Amino acid sequence: MDWFPLWNSLRIAAISTIVIFFTGIYAAWSIAKLPRVLKGILDVILTLPLVLPPTVVGFFLLKLLGPYSMIGSFILETANTRLVMEWYSAIFASVVVAFPLMYRTARGAFESFDPDLHSAGQTLGMPNWKIFWKIVLPTTRQGILAGTVLAFARALGEYGATSMISGYTPGRTATISTTVYQLWRTGNDAEAYMWVLTNVAISFVVLLTINSLEARQSPKRAIQEMER
Amino acid sequence: MKNLLALLTILTLSLAACQAQPAETDPVEDVELYVFAAASLTETFEEIGKLFEAANPGVKVIFTFDSSGTLKTQIEEGAIADVFVSAAQKQINELEAGNAANTAGLDFVLAGSRVNVVENKVTLAVPTGNPANVQSFAELASDTVSIIALGNADVPVGQYSEELLTNLGIWEQIQPKITFGSNVKEVTTWVSEGVADCGIVYKTDAFSAGLEVVDEAGSDLLKTPVVYPGAVMKTSQNPTVAQAFLDFLRSAEGQTVLTSVGFSIPD
Repeated sequence: MDWFPLWNSLRIAAISTIVIFFTGIYAAWSIAKLPRVLKGILDVILTLPLVLPPTVVGFFLLKLLGPYSMIGSFILETANTRLVMEWYSAIFASVVVAFPLMYRTARGAFESFDPDLHSAGQTLGMPNWKIFWKIVLPTTRQGILAGTVLAFARALGEYGATSMISGYTPGRTATISTTVYQLWRTGNDAEAYMWVLTNVAISFVVLLTINSLEARQSPKRAIQEMER
Repeated sequence: MKNLLALLTILTLSLAACQAQPAETDPVEDVELYVFAAASLTETFEEIGKLFEAANPGVKVIFTFDSSGTLKTQIEEGAIADVFVSAAQKQINELEAGNAANTAGLDFVLAGSRVNVVENKVTLAVPTGNPANVQSFAELASDTVSIIALGNADVPVGQYSEELLTNLGIWEQIQPKITFGSNVKEVTTWVSEGVADCGIVYKTDAFSAGLEVVDEAGSDLLKTPVVYPGAVMKTSQNPTVAQAFLDFLRSAEGQTVLTSVGFSIPD
């Protein structure tokens, strides 16, 4: 059996998750400090891909990155590289649809972060970035990790936008989800079942991980960090 | 309160029971005709549908356009279809009782209703400006072509593509360059969006989408005739109207619409 889809899906999900981890946390932290109205509007815009059908996302991405678009044609001319119909095109799709999951979870975690801990760090003379990495993140660790795992799971399961922007080339752009669809279309149920079981197994592991991370935040850890 | 709930339940169930009775005694008024047709027939059939409705007041034609392979599976799984027009003989063969290709023992085709509706040509289409400068089917194997859009093994145009490319001897070597679409319209869109360097679609799809055609498969490359059969389904609730629709397709009016996009009429 051709195991390319497994390797392809995992690397797309992994890279997407790394991108989402940093952009999601940065957005959540910056926006948490904004005035209410602006925060609300940005929340809606950044959460939109979560509720839009993936085919709508795929449509927009094709129009944005396809060879006839401004961005697409520019990259094609300067770097002689295609943004669509390649394995890495699926990364764009996965990042867009999974970003809201990381963003919302991180926002929730940061919102419930005790601001007194932040002030305490400041009285001890810690710079803001150190406060963020040494106090905020470790304290909100559970929420951040849960968001990361959710984003990874969503990126792994992306189908609609991926199918439109990466196409389906076995051994080159095929993911688990597009492979199952094509195998079902061509009546190859036996192999489709194999992939379905593989995907269920991975999802199981992912969800068990989320479950074990769903503990409450501990301010105790933050205090320990400050005492160092 | 309890009595009220019981009363409401009985009323609701009676209403539901009323709706479940078939309207056998209704005359041919407000007939909904479900036509399953190959994706390449989208533009022409929608026009023909309107003409048919005008000529038959009270009839509403509801189309489902998709790859013939998908439609055949849907019919097999119990979808309501009065008429099925496929882009290849294969799909209707598999639904016809007594047909050699019918290994699953299916029986969906109403005896005597099967006719050949149109004939099409398989062509190589390119996006505006022909960026990869493709001129023929044989060139698909060269390095100037990076992405080829084809229908998958379930789609008639994909089956025709595989046949002609195998006959050319390049099918195996071009595999890494192929992106497989689920129906001919998806393939056509990939070409018109410029996302693929070229694609194999029907002459009629290239025409409707305004795509440039650089090569056409002759009978030396493609032995299977590209003929679209149509038939009334045995499960149809309106076989007379369904047969009338099939006859309309073969009438002068229907054929004018079909030939206007490049279909030809088989004997």
